[in-house]
Amino acid sequence: MREYDIVVIGGGLAGLMAAAAATKRGKKVTLLSLGSGTLTIGGGIVDVMGYLEGGIPAATPSAGLLQVGAGHPYKKIGRPAIEESIRFFKEICEQEGYSYIGNLDKTQWIPTAAGTLKPTCLVPRTMDTTELKKADKVTVLGFDALKDFYPSLIAKNFKKIPAFAQKEYEVVMIDPKLSEGRDVTALDVARWLDTEEGLASCIEKMRNVIDSGSVVIIPPILGTRPSYAVKEKLEKALGCHFVETASVPPSITGLRLRTMLVRYLKKNGVRIVEQAIVAKSIVEDGKCVAVITEGVDRERTYYAKSFILANGGFYGGGLLAEPGKVIEPIFNLPVEAPTDHELWANYSLFSSEAQPFAKLGLDVDEKMRPLDANGKVLLNNVFVAGRNLRGYDFSFEKSGNGVAIASGYQAAMSV
Amino acid sequence: MQKTTVVVIGGGATGVGILRDLCMRGVDAILLEQQDLAYGTSSRYHGLLHSGGRYAVKDAEAGKECIEENTILRKIGRHCVEQTEGFFARTHLDDEAFEGKWVEACAKVGIPTIPISVEEALRLEPNLSPKIKSVYRVPDAAIDGFRMVWQNVASARKYGGRVLTYTTVVGIEHSNNQVVGIKVRNTLTGEVSNIACDFIVSAAGSWAGEIAALAGINVNVQPDRGTLIAFNHRITSRIVNRLRPASDGDIFVPHGSITILGTTSASVNKPDDTVPNAKEVVELLNIGEALFEDIRSYRMLRAFAGTRPLYSADPNATGRGASRGFVTLDHAHDGLKGFVSVVGGKFTTYRLMAEKVTDLVCGYLNVKTPCRTAVENLVEDTSPALMAKARLYFPAYGAELAASRLGSEGLEKVIARIQEKPEKRQLLCECENVTMAEVEEAAADSTSYMISDVRRKTRMGMGTCQGAFCTFRSVGAVDANGLSWGKDTNVLFKEFLQGRWKGIRPILWGNVMREMELTRGIYEGTLNINGAIDNEGI
Ligand SMILES: Cc1cc2nc3c(=O)[nH]c(=O)nc-3n(C[C@H](O)[C@H](O)[C@H](O)COP(=O)(O)OP(=O)(O)OC[C@H]3O[C@@H](n4cnc5c(N)ncnc54)[C@H](O)[C@@H]3O)c2cc1C
Ligand SMILES: Cc1cc2nc3c(=O)[nH]c(=O)nc-3n(C[C@H](O)[C@H](O)[C@H](O)COP(=O)(O)OP(=O)(O)OC[C@H]3O[C@@H](n4cnc5c(N)ncnc54)[C@H](O)[C@@H]3O)c2cc1C
Repeated sequence: MREYDIVVIGGGLAGLMAAAAATKRGKKVTLLSLGSGTLTIGGGIVDVMGYLEGGIPAATPSAGLLQVGAGHPYKKIGRPAIEESIRFFKEICEQEGYSYIGNLDKTQWIPTAAGTLKPTCLVPRTMDTTELKKADKVTVLGFDALKDFYPSLIAKNFKKIPAFAQKEYEVVMIDPKLSEGRDVTALDVARWLDTEEGLASCIEKMRNVIDSGSVVIIPPILGTRPSYAVKEKLEKALGCHFVETASVPPSITGLRLRTMLVRYLKKNGVRIVEQAIVAKSIVEDGKCVAVITEGVDRERTYYAKSFILANGGFYGGGLLAEPGKVIEPIFNLPVEAPTDHELWANYSLFSSEAQPFAKLGLDVDEKMRPLDANGKVLLNNVFVAGRNLRGYDFSFEKSGNGVAIASGYQAAMSV
Repeated sequence: MQKTTVVVIGGGATGVGILRDLCMRGVDAILLEQQDLAYGTSSRYHGLLHSGGRYAVKDAEAGKECIEENTILRKIGRHCVEQTEGFFARTHLDDEAFEGKWVEACAKVGIPTIPISVEEALRLEPNLSPKIKSVYRVPDAAIDGFRMVWQNVASARKYGGRVLTYTTVVGIEHSNNQVVGIKVRNTLTGEVSNIACDFIVSAAGSWAGEIAALAGINVNVQPDRGTLIAFNHRITSRIVNRLRPASDGDIFVPHGSITILGTTSASVNKPDDTVPNAKEVVELLNIGEALFEDIRSYRMLRAFAGTRPLYSADPNATGRGASRGFVTLDHAHDGLKGFVSVVGGKFTTYRLMAEKVTDLVCGYLNVKTPCRTAVENLVEDTSPALMAKARLYFPAYGAELAASRLGSEGLEKVIARIQEKPEKRQLLCECENVTMAEVEEAAADSTSYMISDVRRKTRMGMGTCQGAFCTFRSVGAVDANGLSWGKDTNVLFKEFLQGRWKGIRPILWGNVMREMELTRGIYEGTLNINGAIDNEGI
């Protein structure tokens, strides 16, 4: 019987960060995961705290952290650990040659594919808006046949944002000739730019429509790899600044971040088991002894001293909703939810209020251990991280990856 | 001021049926609809072209009307009807004594019922509960409400009919006890204007009471809300009715790639109280389990509700031509000439209702042309040449769908868009196979003012993702073509997604919850279409 120090369940951002923090502490870690998590859908933009209750923008992520309510994961984790976790995340990125910019003391307003700005904390350098903010003239560049990016919509909407209204916008299109009658996604374009020929051809086409010195808003297409090589080559060849927008799935920025983190973990000796579905747990005397995975061929049992439960929320599969109740499928941990299903959701999908259902999840103590309704620790060696936590609506407040990083880190530090 | 002979109020099946009938008989007419066509009960319904089996025991007259109209609509509206046939299945919970009564009653009004063995039924419909006791085949069919309404309008337009959507009737103008015109308000801009006319026909369904009240006349219509659930696949390839006295949660109707289960029944105060709730959904699932045991494992798409116009006659009223299924009320009896209401009925009998009303109106107008709506097809079939051309631009399955959705003329226009810009053949809505060209064509129609109108015309956003992906694309495509109706794109996003949300909120669990986390992650989390921007902080 092999026993690990830590088994991490779930390979989303929370699980990856937990594994990273645990190896840094010298722990022997196995990560069990099914699929690539929300990262490759949701993206590599790290929101920490954008909006307070009532929909009021937080002055800075830091200021936002001070104002969250008692039930919020950030309140449990505490400020010092949040700051450390962000520092740790940025260190990894730096070390891996794919640095992130930003800090807790400044909200970055980044352009989105809907022509809005969204408040966030950390972004890859492909989303640096320094030059965009300074520019008097901005080019918005689209690709024929890319149905998930509409440059004229962006230009038109920026005109309505006071801070961006004075700028002049020009919309240009290039034809990557990738379609052959097929639909094209940002991923296809990014893969095209991964190749030398693709990059050269793209530079050629861009040269015809953009002037040197321009600031150019583009969909997230600057290569699929966690590196700034594509960005730098393009910018050098054309003498321009490119700014990627936050955009719809599939997410290239998330793909890059995931690739980078997985590479980092492997370098640091984390054993990653892909396509592992954790189905059951063995619990004795308030401690988890092992978890059991279901595979195509057979069951496997993973023993460990501690477990980090980072298998996501309703999207990732860590929580399952039924009429009037929520189930946590691996440990059957309790989730408090209104039995009257009518109370789960607001009548307006978008409003100045968070959605009650988005806040459903597992209650934990400061060490991220699961609690029962009376606040008693249920499992001493199980630590919870990520989207399965109770008390935050990431879509509304803009906090998803921030909570994943901070709670993953805190869980690993608590082991 | 616009002028016409007859104004028809209500863009549901009944109203468009009347418009078509009037225009085919050469009467000048305008139809007014407060929202979009089929906004009312004619799209918030089950989509069952009744064989009449459901009514045969309790209301033989209604049963007879159904089987007759069923036969007619299969022919004239064949592009809107899916000839699925139907089962009446008695479960172990249902009274055996009713079965005999039902068979007899169906025979009396001419509804063919063919008994088959339970084994045979289970072979044909493997998802049916093996506990069922007996099964009969009946000539039920599935009927697409949106399409039926649209094709009636297309036909009426050919005969000169006019349609004004987003036009709310707010007053009835009369002088010397005779209708002289109608006052309307543009639903979107609030602008008020008048249309001169000699005759008004109210086909406002559950709203009929409100319309009559504008002329100080009492029409006693009680809206009754029915909730339905749409499932993501064909649970059954035939319609399945429960063989028992008509009650809640009795019927499963397959439509294209989905199945609809319904319905509940609850008296409501307002005709547009169509917000379903989770309790109704759970109730339907509980009942539905008797016919399909695995019902809880089937993926739901959305819940929706419509209101039935339940009419109770004023016992003191006289001189009213009434069949039991529906009534036509000639308000000359109430002291106002040139005003008729038609209330009650079913979708299945819309054509018959229209014929009866149009006969009445034509009597007054001294028009002798007979009704031909039962013999002339709604739309012409798409020619083989056009179909062949369509196949060059649509995926095989998509071509058939597009042809029946658009009709020949629409198909031609969509093909022209693709020929001009080949990338417009890409699918904006992958769930329902809707191309960019089709979305643009629907958006350009004079009756479209928002993305939901495009949805009703194309079915975009009605599949599994419920708009998660196609909302962004359709707003983008519409906006890129300068068709966004002068609206802010964030308003368009929200309007459409809020519409979808209404149907998702009551079924927010399982995979639907998962999908919602994705939708909110995209529109609220990433695209921030709702958040305030801190201009000082930028
Ligand atoms: C569309 C969208 C856009 C978003 N945009 C942003 C953004 O711009 N900025 C931001 O900060 N946040 C954003 N978020 C939120 C953010 O992506 C999530 O909050 C965060 O990634 C959650 O990470 P996680 O690790 O907790 O969960 P997940 O990423 O869901 O990871 C959970 C993992 O566990 C696996 N798993 C589940 N059950 C089991 C099991 N039984 N056995 C083994 N493995 C299992 C899952 O397959 C998955 O891989 C977005 C989310 C979405 C959906
Ligand atoms: C849950 C449910 C399931 C059903 N299932 C079936 C079935 O399977 N088969 C079947 O045959 N029948 C069924 N029915 C019945 C059928 O749907 C209705 O009888 C039929 O659709 C009514 O059509 P209509 O045109 O009369 O009314 P509607 O479709 O409601 O049209 C009335 C229109 O008038 C408009 N209007 C109202 N006020 C104004 C105004 N002031 N100015 C302008 N316009 C106005 C409304 O917006 C509306 O669009 C069902 C009904 C319900 C509620």
